Amino acid sequence: MNTTLNFAWRNIWRHPRRTILTMLAIAFGAALLVFSIGLQLGQYDLMIKGSISIYQGLLQVQKKGYLDEPKIRNDIKDIQNLARTIRDKTGIKSITARANGFALVSSEQRSYGTLITGVEPEYEKLVSSIPGTIKEGRYLLSDDSHEVIIGKSLANNLRIKTGDELTLMGSGRDGSIAATILPVSGIYDSGSKELDRNLIQIPIKTFQEVFSMGNAGHALIFYHDEIKKEHFFRQQLQQLIADNNQLLTLSWDQLQPGIKQAIELDYSSGWFMYLVLVAIITLSILNTFLMSVLERSREFGIMLALGYKPFNIAKLVMLEALILTFFALTLGTLAGLAINVYFAVYGLTFEGMEEIAQMYNMSATLHPQITFESILIGPLVIFIFTILSALYPAMKIRHLQPVEAMRKI
Amino acid sequence: MRSLPLITSLAWRNLWRNKRRTMVILFAMVLGVWAMIVTAAFMRGMAIQMLDDTVNNLTGHIQIHHKNYLDDPVIENSFFGNDTALLNTLKLPDIIHWSSRIRVPAVISSERETRGVVLLAIEPEAEANISFLKNAITEGQYFSSNDENGIIIGKKLAQNLETRLGKRVVVMSQNTKNEIADSGYRISGIYDTSGEGMETDFIFITKRAAEQLLDSTGLSSEIAVITRSLDTVLSVQKNLAAKNPELDIQDWSSLQPYTKLVVEMYSDFQYVWHLIVFLAMSFGIINTLLMTIYERTREFGLFQALGLKPGFILVQVWTEALFMLTIALFIGNFVSWLTVMTTGDGIDVSAFSQGMELAQMSNIIPFVILFEDLLLANIIVIALGLLTSLYPAWKASQLVPADAITRI
Amino acid sequence: MQNTDNQTVVICTDLSKTYQQGLIQVHALSNINFEVNKGEFICLSGPSGSGKSTLLNMIGGLDTPSSGKVYIDGEEIDKLNKSELADMRLHKIGFVFQAYNLIPVLTAQENIEMVMQMQGVSKNERHHKSLNILQEVGLGGLENRKPTELSGGQQQRIAVARAIVSRPSLVLADEPTANLDSLTASKLIDLMLQMNELHNTTFIISTHDPMIMQRSKKLVKLHDGKIIDNIIQKNNV
Repeated sequence: MNTTLNFAWRNIWRHPRRTILTMLAIAFGAALLVFSIGLQLGQYDLMIKGSISIYQGLLQVQKKGYLDEPKIRNDIKDIQNLARTIRDKTGIKSITARANGFALVSSEQRSYGTLITGVEPEYEKLVSSIPGTIKEGRYLLSDDSHEVIIGKSLANNLRIKTGDELTLMGSGRDGSIAATILPVSGIYDSGSKELDRNLIQIPIKTFQEVFSMGNAGHALIFYHDEIKKEHFFRQQLQQLIADNNQLLTLSWDQLQPGIKQAIELDYSSGWFMYLVLVAIITLSILNTFLMSVLERSREFGIMLALGYKPFNIAKLVMLEALILTFFALTLGTLAGLAINVYFAVYGLTFEGMEEIAQMYNMSATLHPQITFESILIGPLVIFIFTILSALYPAMKIRHLQPVEAMRKI
Repeated sequence: MRSLPLITSLAWRNLWRNKRRTMVILFAMVLGVWAMIVTAAFMRGMAIQMLDDTVNNLTGHIQIHHKNYLDDPVIENSFFGNDTALLNTLKLPDIIHWSSRIRVPAVISSERETRGVVLLAIEPEAEANISFLKNAITEGQYFSSNDENGIIIGKKLAQNLETRLGKRVVVMSQNTKNEIADSGYRISGIYDTSGEGMETDFIFITKRAAEQLLDSTGLSSEIAVITRSLDTVLSVQKNLAAKNPELDIQDWSSLQPYTKLVVEMYSDFQYVWHLIVFLAMSFGIINTLLMTIYERTREFGLFQALGLKPGFILVQVWTEALFMLTIALFIGNFVSWLTVMTTGDGIDVSAFSQGMELAQMSNIIPFVILFEDLLLANIIVIALGLLTSLYPAWKASQLVPADAITRI
Repeated sequence: MQNTDNQTVVICTDLSKTYQQGLIQVHALSNINFEVNKGEFICLSGPSGSGKSTLLNMIGGLDTPSSGKVYIDGEEIDKLNKSELADMRLHKIGFVFQAYNLIPVLTAQENIEMVMQMQGVSKNERHHKSLNILQEVGLGGLENRKPTELSGGQQQRIAVARAIVSRPSLVLADEPTANLDSLTASKLIDLMLQMNELHNTTFIISTHDPMIMQRSKKLVKLHDGKIIDNIIQKNNV
């Protein structure tokens, strides 16, 4: 084996220029894939984290049918109690109850229709980033205080500031008119124009009072930053609500299918490009492998004459391809990794990134993901393709006849 | 150059000396060219589609507003849309359609639910020329005249309100006297768009109906303008802005900066993608040429012995590369054309519809091959291809004849 | 090309060539003094490694001497740059090598025409001359064959035809018969002698084939890079 390895190694370096070019092609592909897959995965991570941390949470418990038809009557009874029970049993604090409604919100001069959410201020802070983005005033005090917080864009449109009063008018759960006047205690700027324009929050008990909800609400929001553990948490939640078959646990991708699909679309178009590149590189490599076999026809003829079996020669050729690919992939992967480490530390941003980032509630600086998946998946694909391309010329050796082979130049 | 016919025939025949090798590298290059053109066409299609959607979805090419309207979109910030002086400025040959609207925030309620929406009051005839609405009606009818008193709402909104065609809804909004006015309307039409965002956000009544609700006779919140082509947008916008200094006149790119950004990014990405694909191909090109040169070392020695200059050999190898590039481009362009032809309307990405909506795109992406994109891909391949093959060609011309001939 | 008698075509003075082969210095040629006159048919003989090929390469300007000078038609070729050297070969010298003389992708006729084409000879004239010379070398009718479709002897004949078709001052043949059987070899020598007579073309042939040595008009023996014998033989056919 040792001598075969030695032999293969020397054969690789018979045409140093050709070998280096071939290795560069493979390394280029590997580096590019490692870099861009890392970047993509990093970006998806940001997108998902952005979308779950701002408001929607990782998981939600809702009444069946509420997701498609978010009507005020599709509610969960005694929701705060349920939230408390789940918090106690799981030991996880970042679970909160919400009630959602709709109202015409009027200041002295302006009126807009918006979503209105009743929240548990103490736990809302652990679930959503909105309470942390209060720019003026403060967040809601308690479950039953009489006050409202409002997004910056809406505050501008309504021409109000903290301390001013807002009139809310909508219809309650029973169809009665729900109306109240509340002072604005805080103005938030979440970074998402969509939310800032369309969402105001009041304490949950105040909400239940105004909208005649009793003790009901519409959703339990669960937040955790380990997206990968989603499945585990989901099962846990599902178990805890199992006694009420009207309830359902929904994951972030069901709550915001747009994000998931945008990621999938981007990932599949990314892979289309990668596969094209890998195919181009593979074809270039195929030529190198093919030539290295055809050129050595004569030599292989001699080896056959000396008693080598075609299989041994094919093995030698495959070994050469393997060694070459291995070194090239190592080189390329390290190069790609080095670029990723650099950007993971210093961040990568480009012109226009900020506007696009805002669409997905994420920060404008990308940090490539460095995980086993991001590092190894690209090189692995190249490896498979490369070995397949080496197999073709190696197979040709099986049909080699010594005399014929030696006659060839 | 008297050696030209010799060079071309030598180059052409040498290209086919090792058919398999040439086919392999040609295949790689065709794949590259195809990927360049088709990707560019797909992105161009996405960009154009997005732009079309933006323009169709009420933005138009240019919008005219009251100076304060965009910051504070209420009926107070409106202007006299049928002012003769203003209408005269719209009589430009490059303006093909325009439509005057009222656009204010409102609340819509059915018997069961209430939602916040944007109320658009339109002149049915003019609006039909410039926005999606008329063609998107799936139930009921579009307004036949400005006198109608019905309301058109989106399918999803109807679902959320638990209402349907023919039912009554109540719309509330702030009128010119700063009071909340409300009025009931019968649903006369329901529209369906590919994205649900539009459907839940916009409701439509006639402009005359709005005048009663809002007490807004003669007022407009915005005039949307469609010009003859995208190229004329800027000049029309400047023209209008100069003639109506008291109004805010912006084109689609400043009204929808995200659309503009994405369109530009796709354009820029083409260059990056083309370069990456080319780089991937270039290794193969150089290597294949180096191999052919290596095999023909003796021959190049012979050429020199026969009195042919190094330049002749360089040009010969280069011509071979040129042939290779040309063939790859020819087939690559043809296959790309075929791909685009056979996909018809485009690629259906409705499996990702909500993702597409989030990115403000529609479900079917057409391939759009622009001449300039085609030119770019071809120029990149031929120019960089010749540049990279200069190295092997130069290498061939630098062989020392005495060594070259004696090498086996 | 004028045909003056006793015109000196090649002069080599104190020609030496040293190669560095690894750690060893190889003296391929040392102090060669050598002259060739118009119309001569010279045979360079000697065992392999004696410097025959090196000397031919020097004369043909394919290799540069370590010291000493080579004059072709009175012109010192050391002073020529690459391009001028190529021109000199194109117009004044014909080459015949041991093997692989022909461009594989060109037909017999195209191979012959190639040099003329570079010289700027008109198409008609090229055509006419190449067909004539193919007749002369006895390969009439094979003009459209590719080299791979010709035997070794036929390939060498075409190489000779190509070397003499544009009437060069000098034809250099490096072991032209080494790959041929003796009968074919003898015929090739006949051809070269015939061309020498017919066109008064100067030939320098390197060989270790005794048959060729015997039949050449002048025999120059090389050993270890030195001329050891310079015999004028009148007894040839």
